Amino acid sequence: MKIGSMLVDILRSLVHPPATQIYPSERRPAPDRLRGKLHWNPAQCVGCGLCSKDCPADAIEIITVDKQNKRFVMRYHADRCTYCAQCVKSCRFNCLQMSPEDWELAATNKQAFTVYYGDEHDLQRLVERNTQPDAEPAKTG
Amino acid sequence: MTTGSVPKRFSIPIGPQHPALKEPGHFDFSVDGEVVTGATVRLGYAHRGIEKAAENQNWVQNLYLLERICGICSHIHATAYCLGVEKLADVEAPPRAQAIRVLIAELERVHSHLLWLGVTAHEAGFDTLFMYSWRDRETVMDILESLTGNRVNYSANMLGGVKFDVTDDNRKAIERGVNFLETRTRHYLNVVTTDQVFVQRTRGVGVITREQAEQLGVIGPTARASGVLRDVRVEAPYAAYRDIPVQPVIETAGDLEARFVVRLKELFESYRLIRVILEQMPPGDLNVRMPRRPKAGEAISRVEAPRGELFYFIKSNGADNPERVKVRTPTLCNMASVLVTAVGQQLADVPMILAGIDPCFSCNDRAVTISKAGDATSAVWSWQQLRQYSQAYYRRRL
Repeated sequence: MKIGSMLVDILRSLVHPPATQIYPSERRPAPDRLRGKLHWNPAQCVGCGLCSKDCPADAIEIITVDKQNKRFVMRYHADRCTYCAQCVKSCRFNCLQMSPEDWELAATNKQAFTVYYGDEHDLQRLVERNTQPDAEPAKTG
Repeated sequence: MTTGSVPKRFSIPIGPQHPALKEPGHFDFSVDGEVVTGATVRLGYAHRGIEKAAENQNWVQNLYLLERICGICSHIHATAYCLGVEKLADVEAPPRAQAIRVLIAELERVHSHLLWLGVTAHEAGFDTLFMYSWRDRETVMDILESLTGNRVNYSANMLGGVKFDVTDDNRKAIERGVNFLETRTRHYLNVVTTDQVFVQRTRGVGVITREQAEQLGVIGPTARASGVLRDVRVEAPYAAYRDIPVQPVIETAGDLEARFVVRLKELFESYRLIRVILEQMPPGDLNVRMPRRPKAGEAISRVEAPRGELFYFIKSNGADNPERVKVRTPTLCNMASVLVTAVGQQLADVPMILAGIDPCFSCNDRAVTISKAGDATSAVWSWQQLRQYSQAYYRRRL
């Protein structure tokens, strides 16, 4: 039986730098497998919608712009996303990736969390369709 | 001078919000001076309706919902669910996936036990041990982050296998971390068994005898500290534990000190298992194809979470969503032992006795059965009755 069995640890800490880091002035590089913001590459997408079906947080919407020519736009809600990467695994065409760099996602407004991915031309068509009062609403799914 | 009658017993209500732990639970201790003479508990303040929510999500989505039942043992929940659904679908994950599941489960056990060591030391007022054990816990958190991509909800599992492989870099990082943690664990084991001040708080406190442990159905490290072998990894091996046998750690004293010793010695067993898995990692695929809808039927899956046996019952009717998912977490089984062992102890020891079972309240809060005071009959209320009751309740309060 002894008293002060952790005294050695305390004394050793006097000559050691702190174990904590002063983020953000000091930052450790993120690991390669870190699951950050989702990125979508429309080139291979066939619009099967499996990513959106399997998403546990309802964070992915695939919007069909032109069904015949397989033109799709993706609306991604970064604030709903749980960063589980199920969509990345569900996609058979490897259209989805979670970026290990893009993980500091804090923003002061809510709009920053709704991200549109897709070809510029397709996005333009979506905006036009939504601004025309008589046009059909964008189909999701 | 005395006026009126002097009450012989005082009742001390603690909670739902209380300074001892971060989670809500209501305890009522009747005391005679400083000694506890009776205890009751009321749970259910952190009920989140996860089981019902699981009925409205598809099989894949549920994996992530159920992973979030517990923030500390998240991987083992997902593993239990995966094993159950794979059983329903007659699919078995490849051996490499099973090994990776067990590897992460053991790393998770290391992180959970080190976290518990810190929390319980903090309850005893030994904050030095708390700070240093949590500093060292960062080692295993970093390993898990580099291996899986996240510190807490690892999302390592998918139905039919796992998402990623263990690379040579991961292997080296794990070996380095485990070697460091092994020396630190040896030091902590020495501290908790020899520090005079700390031992006074743990030795002979909160004793659960072997008979009591068996009678109360205590499980996990709490049972093993009372000399009862209850370990699913040993009794009904699953995943890679079938090929890599586990040496159970048993202590017989049954007091708080034995619970410290059991958990710390289990860490050595986990380090050994991690090394063996890395050495004998079977080659092959990481996952197999899973049907979108498992066949109709029922499956039970039991796994050993860091706190004890975790039980999943899954029922399928062949549709997109499960018909029923029932979860029983280890805290519920161990909670009765707190009430029994608290009697006769000093009130000041009660937070440590409670922390000694490693309780996780929000994991444990499932469904509430309400029985009226003085009425022995209890009934499960329908949604409609519950709505009416809650509306009437708030109207009264306004």
